[in-house]
Amino acid sequence: MGKVLVYVETTGDTVAPVTFELLAAARALGGEVEALVAAPDPGLVAAQLGGADTILTMAHPALAPYLPEAHVAALAEAIKSRNPDTVLVGSTSTGIDVAAGAAAASGRPLVAYCLGLEPDGGAVVARSQVYGGKLVATTRTEGPAIFAVLPGAFKDAAGRAGGKGQRALLEPPAALGALHTRFVSASEPEPGIDITRAERLVSVGRGIGGPENLELAEELAQALGAEIAASRPVVDSGWLPRQRQVGKSGMTVKPKLYFAVGISGAPEHLEGMRDAELIIAVNSDAAAPIFEVAQYGTTCDLFDLLPALSERLKAATG
Amino acid sequence: MHIAVVLKQVPDLVEELEIDSAGTDIDRSFLKMKLNEFDDHALEQAVLLKESAGAQVTALALDSDGVDQVLHSAVARGADKAIKVAAGDGPFASRQAAPALAAAIRSLNVDLVLTGVQAADDVFGQTAPFLAAELGWPHVSVVSGVEPAGSAVRVRQEYSGGRMAVLEVDTPAVVGVQAAPQSPRYVPISRLRQVMAGGPPESVTATAGAAPAGTMVVALAKPEQAGGAEMISGSTDQVAERILALLSERGLLRG
Amino acid sequence: MSLKAIALAILLAADLGWAGYRFWRLLRPVFRAHWENRFDHLPTRAWGIVTNILFHSRLLKIRYSGVLHLMIFSGFVILFTAIVQAFGEGLVPGFSLAPVGGDTWIALSQDVFDVVVMAGLALAAYNRYVRRPARFEGSNNRDATIVLLLIFAVVGDMLLQNTFRVAVGNDPSASWRPVSSFLAGLLAYAGIHGQSARLPAEVFYWTHVLAILAFLAYIPASKHLHILVGIPNVFFRSLEPKGTLPKADLSQPSVGLKEIHQLGWKQTLDLYACTECGRCQAVCPAYAAGQPLSPKLLIMDLRDHLLESEGIGGHRHLDGGGALVGGVIKDETLWACTTCRACMQVCPLHIEHVPKIVDMRRELVEQGRMEPKLQDSLASLAQHGNSFNQSERMRARWTRDLGFPIKDARKEEVDVLWFVGDFASYDPRVQRLTQAVARVLKTAQVDYGILYDSERNAGNDVRRVGEEGLFEMLAQHNIAVLGQASFKRIMTTDPHSLNALGQDYAALGAHYQVRHYTQLIASLLRTGQLPIKRRLQGVATYHDPCYLGRYNDGFDAPRQILEMLGVTVHEMGRCRENSFCCGAGGGRIWMDDSKLKERPSENRIREAVALGDADWFVVACPKDVVMYTAAVQSTGMEGRIEVKDVIELVEMAVAPEPVPALEMGEGQVTVA
Repeated sequence: MGKVLVYVETTGDTVAPVTFELLAAARALGGEVEALVAAPDPGLVAAQLGGADTILTMAHPALAPYLPEAHVAALAEAIKSRNPDTVLVGSTSTGIDVAAGAAAASGRPLVAYCLGLEPDGGAVVARSQVYGGKLVATTRTEGPAIFAVLPGAFKDAAGRAGGKGQRALLEPPAALGALHTRFVSASEPEPGIDITRAERLVSVGRGIGGPENLELAEELAQALGAEIAASRPVVDSGWLPRQRQVGKSGMTVKPKLYFAVGISGAPEHLEGMRDAELIIAVNSDAAAPIFEVAQYGTTCDLFDLLPALSERLKAATG
Repeated sequence: MHIAVVLKQVPDLVEELEIDSAGTDIDRSFLKMKLNEFDDHALEQAVLLKESAGAQVTALALDSDGVDQVLHSAVARGADKAIKVAAGDGPFASRQAAPALAAAIRSLNVDLVLTGVQAADDVFGQTAPFLAAELGWPHVSVVSGVEPAGSAVRVRQEYSGGRMAVLEVDTPAVVGVQAAPQSPRYVPISRLRQVMAGGPPESVTATAGAAPAGTMVVALAKPEQAGGAEMISGSTDQVAERILALLSERGLLRG
Repeated sequence: MSLKAIALAILLAADLGWAGYRFWRLLRPVFRAHWENRFDHLPTRAWGIVTNILFHSRLLKIRYSGVLHLMIFSGFVILFTAIVQAFGEGLVPGFSLAPVGGDTWIALSQDVFDVVVMAGLALAAYNRYVRRPARFEGSNNRDATIVLLLIFAVVGDMLLQNTFRVAVGNDPSASWRPVSSFLAGLLAYAGIHGQSARLPAEVFYWTHVLAILAFLAYIPASKHLHILVGIPNVFFRSLEPKGTLPKADLSQPSVGLKEIHQLGWKQTLDLYACTECGRCQAVCPAYAAGQPLSPKLLIMDLRDHLLESEGIGGHRHLDGGGALVGGVIKDETLWACTTCRACMQVCPLHIEHVPKIVDMRRELVEQGRMEPKLQDSLASLAQHGNSFNQSERMRARWTRDLGFPIKDARKEEVDVLWFVGDFASYDPRVQRLTQAVARVLKTAQVDYGILYDSERNAGNDVRRVGEEGLFEMLAQHNIAVLGQASFKRIMTTDPHSLNALGQDYAALGAHYQVRHYTQLIASLLRTGQLPIKRRLQGVATYHDPCYLGRYNDGFDAPRQILEMLGVTVHEMGRCRENSFCCGAGGGRIWMDDSKLKERPSENRIREAVALGDADWFVVACPKDVVMYTAAVQSTGMEGRIEVKDVIELVEMAVAPEPVPALEMGEGQVTVA
């Protein structure tokens, strides 16, 4: 395996967790691990990348705040000048912009939503989640290619250290001086309930039926000493506020207990909770993807189970 | 402003998906298709811009089984026109579809292309970025709101953890829509049928791109249940008891 | 002509002219409105006048008000003679009703009914100001008061006039006027008689006449218009099947009721007929649940909106101006209706509330104004033919665990085609009951079959939600499938499907004879084709489903079944055509009910439990099973009453082997 280039994603000057997972994946593929830091002041970010062999720094003021056009150009430039065999990008909002854009610019194939990557001779075999997680597609890619990897697919430990730590400077492409995209403003979510701090979560999905049934979940949460969380469809419908959303575009949580009620387990949701210590899922569909990450599951009717469970919990805990 | 909305059908995930005999694709013989939900939002966003800013909306889709209905629905929803792009027998991955769609878009005087941020079957990449590359236009994906801003548009891009940013992009541009500001509106069947009575949508011919070289699907399967959940069955009471025991074992009971 | 006659003539002409002008302005929109054929079945229509108007059939259902109204109404009819006399005497010298009994029995009647009317007015005033029934909430009390006062003025002045005339001493009818004579006697004690009575007599003649003229002038601006509109409105009532809805022309860009002028002439007349009595409001499940819908206020709002749009000015000023749908009548008001038809069942004037609501809902659907849950349900119905967002292929899944095959009516000829329905097929809580029906029919050796996954939602509630296009799509599919199948009769377990197949499909050219499964089971029990192995012991109360009972007059079969099984039936007060809706109809089951004060189903369960001795709450509709099972839980009544579908009790009695009773409560099963 030759060279693997990892696109480093950041929030401000902090490296995003998915980047470390990508570095670990890159290490597992074998070969040199390079990491592209495209930022106005790459030094701050580069210091956090102990898992990379060569840190490519590209400095330009237009690289922050994040603009899709700028980072597509940056990654395309990095690919052109370093010619890696494999490029890894996180399958995040940024990733969707950057991976496909760079793939088009470089003419390389792109394989998205990867759950796993393995070397196979000179090729890379990837497993990707498709059709809402109902199926897994295995692809075999020969030659230089780009892979968008789902957060949580790889453990991050191996990507945090063990790299040679060399540096290389990359010239920013001329395009960065003639962008058609401009940053206007950014917003952070309003402070309120922080479900990432909760030890126990009772999370509801579309299966709860409607806001009128939330009280069943709330009762259970109370009996458990848990917070209420939700999947995206529930929040989009306005039944619960966005701060309680778990998933790719919501919060990532790692509670001691994640009790999933009526959640099918779309990949975007799983991304946000698969690392919970104990996952118990209730869903009428025995084939629901949530059961892949849950340790325990049942197809028992949630409208019967929740009150039954609440009752017992109240009795047991007084 | 002239907006082109690119629509695509994907398999309806309510149905059980079967694998074909080759083991590399889904069995398309009894497949029920429906409009990609993100494309639905893109269409809604376009119609909202038509209502608020007087934009003109053209819906486009690659020709495939059942695409007429999709395009008719788009017009019934508020699109001014629908165009079917005949590029041969599909199904086409987004990257292959992009050149054909780009050709059709270039023949119209388009300022903004809206399409869904992703689709259930775009394992080889998403439509919006590839289309943008073909057209040579800037793009932004995972957008949950689009507003006109002179010769540009302002878009709200969403990131994880509830963070968002507002960016301004010069038109012409391509936007991958995650969600419209409001849910796609309901279209009464009577209006759809009236549109259908007007005959099939206009068709243009274009050439699709080549299949992505260097990569191919070698297997398609249901995810392994290895490490899958231990299923608890029985009556409601039995299940509740078991769960209570589990929680107790793990020291997760309160008080 | 004397001065008096001239004055009277001028007053009368002016009043008639003024009132006439106002009546004309009121009637204009009625005549302008589009045609509705209500001129069929004239004898039936005429008989309706006798029962409704003469015999006060619906009015007497609330005894107190019905009786007082009968008093005032009959008085008015009799006292019409007094009006004739008053004007006749005043305009035509020598006019008298004496030749036809004006001094004898007519005089007697007038005197007696004068008192009757005043007694009626007293009862009415007591009702309105002391008892204050809830159904008057929202009604225009000022209007009601003015009317009572005017009637009192007319009859009071008339009594005074007659009293003083008797007191004068030369009144030929004196001996036939007991009340006037009595009062005249009292006057005599006060020294008023003979000459001294002449002036008052004349004065009260004029006040009587003026009261009548004032009343006539007031009527056009009052709900008292019903005295003129009531009889035509009852005459022209709908004789169509009860679920009939306004025709929809789907080729038009707009299908629903957008503007008040689009109403047909009878629908418009309805608005004038409303007396604001509130009987509809009192029986409306949505109103009882705290929803922003009162059928009475709906009609009043439509009336006042019409009057405003005609430049006449409504009886009350409406807050929500502008558009009819969304402005005058709010979205939430329209969506709250369960289409149970209780309002139309009790309205003494046969006003048609539900068709207007559905017509306006069509406009809401046109504009896509509906809550997300409803939209999702409609999308699921359009895509999959069921509201559960499940594949059509799953429709007959429930047949898998039966242990015996059910004939495929698409492929084989069957005697009975069983149209199963959505909830019975897809809802896990109802599936076990569907299986019970299958088993029982097999025990009875009925030759039946189902349409498997070719069946689609019959469309009843889709239509009542206002989605005519989707209804047509579903109906056309079902009609095509039924057209291919070969069967003698159709039976269904779902009252909503019963209504659609039996009534709605007729407009699309498909006429089916459809029976509810209880009718089939009842006849099987009666003939012995389904033998009863063991009789049941227990007390049940039976809930009449709206679409089986009120809509299709199916009250008896389930009761007959219960009787044959040995169950004692203890009826709730609101039974048969007065049954109280569970709240699921009209698409409500596809809408959010978290904001209700008290769900109609909970209200109903409390009613049943209040009977004291009912073990079983028996239902005959899949949606009822779902709604009431949930209601028993949410009201905490488990253990006190149990929801059972008719089929459960039937199976307990007829199954070859005794079925394991699921929580029997206090009911027992004894061997026959």
